[in-house]
Amino acid sequence: MDFDLDGAQQRPQVTIRKATRDNVDFVLSNVDLALANSLRRVMVAEIPTIAIDLVEIEINTSVLADEFIAHRLGLIPLASSDADKLLNTRDCDCDQYCENCSVELTLEARCTGDATMDVYTRDLVSRSRDPKIGAPIINDTEGKGVLICKLRKHQELKLKCIAKKGIAKEHAKWSPASAIAFEYDPWNKLRHTEYWFEVDAEKEWPKSKNADWEEPPKDNEPFDYNATPERFYMDVEAVGSLPPNEIVLSGIRVLQEKLAIIVTSMKDEDSEMGY
Amino acid sequence: MNQPDRFELFLLPDGVSKLTFTPDSRLPNTVNIKFEREDHTLGNLLRAQLLQDPRVLFAAYKVEHPLFANFVLRIQTEEGYPPKEALKNAIMTLIGQLDRLKKEFAKEWELKKITTETEDM
Repeated sequence: MDFDLDGAQQRPQVTIRKATRDNVDFVLSNVDLALANSLRRVMVAEIPTIAIDLVEIEINTSVLADEFIAHRLGLIPLASSDADKLLNTRDCDCDQYCENCSVELTLEARCTGDATMDVYTRDLVSRSRDPKIGAPIINDTEGKGVLICKLRKHQELKLKCIAKKGIAKEHAKWSPASAIAFEYDPWNKLRHTEYWFEVDAEKEWPKSKNADWEEPPKDNEPFDYNATPERFYMDVEAVGSLPPNEIVLSGIRVLQEKLAIIVTSMKDEDSEMGY
Repeated sequence: MNQPDRFELFLLPDGVSKLTFTPDSRLPNTVNIKFEREDHTLGNLLRAQLLQDPRVLFAAYKVEHPLFANFVLRIQTEEGYPPKEALKNAIMTLIGQLDRLKKEFAKEWELKKITTETEDM
């Protein structure tokens, strides 16, 4: 291995500015723009999560159509911290789906009183033994979860949901992150962008909140053409299926796995060619 | 009706190899590698890392058509340095860097957790 190369690229540095239940706001430095962006792309699109993928509806006399309710059920965040324990349904050797590759949830609601009955996420009952896989995430102050459907007197909803592991590239319901804020060079010292203006760009564009974290350019400072983007201000907002720190760590892990697959494919090719 | 299945963006079908190496006969030590079922996430990352290697003379990637999930990476290296080795070195450097990043982030997170816990007390 080239040790000069390792030394030249200094250690990546992370400074967490704010960490809450749903967000982690951090500054990533001493990394390439390509790496920061690839990490962002992976966090949004390629982290495996669990979400409802199959809905078998037995009774639906509500005002919402079957597919409407099925679509809403798919978007419900389910606990995915232990998603590694679940197999991919495609890779599992069972027929269709089984306990090892899916989580079964049931929903039974029938409105008996005169008042409108609200069906919430907490009414979903998971069949899995482990409460950490597949249980709906309830971040509500009242502990009810997301509203799925409303029922009038004598309306009934009875369905069985199969939740499977997947990634957001297949459907956005599997994304663990709702939005990832990503900014670099708040003072545009690298001239990566040009500001549209009516009269004066500096007066018309508001200052980014990250502008306080970097030195503003001095007047008439010459343009540094050798500078590269080095500090990235990221804010990962979680949906609930994974806590924000796990999103970042899983993102790094998935990116490493993608790279490792390439190396093994190269080694397989070498052995095929007889090297 | 005409939309292909979404899983074709990342699932490698039988008979299709992940990588296809096509040496360029016109120039020495040059190879075009086709990555199947991958996108800019890997392409841009590998290209940028290859450019950091002083023995790599040329590195570029392109996604030939947005409807198909693949990209071509072109690498030209100095005499005596096979492009495959340059790619492998780039990937190993990246995996190491990501490892350090993972440890750094985990460390910072634990520190932040401790400091917020002591504030709550």
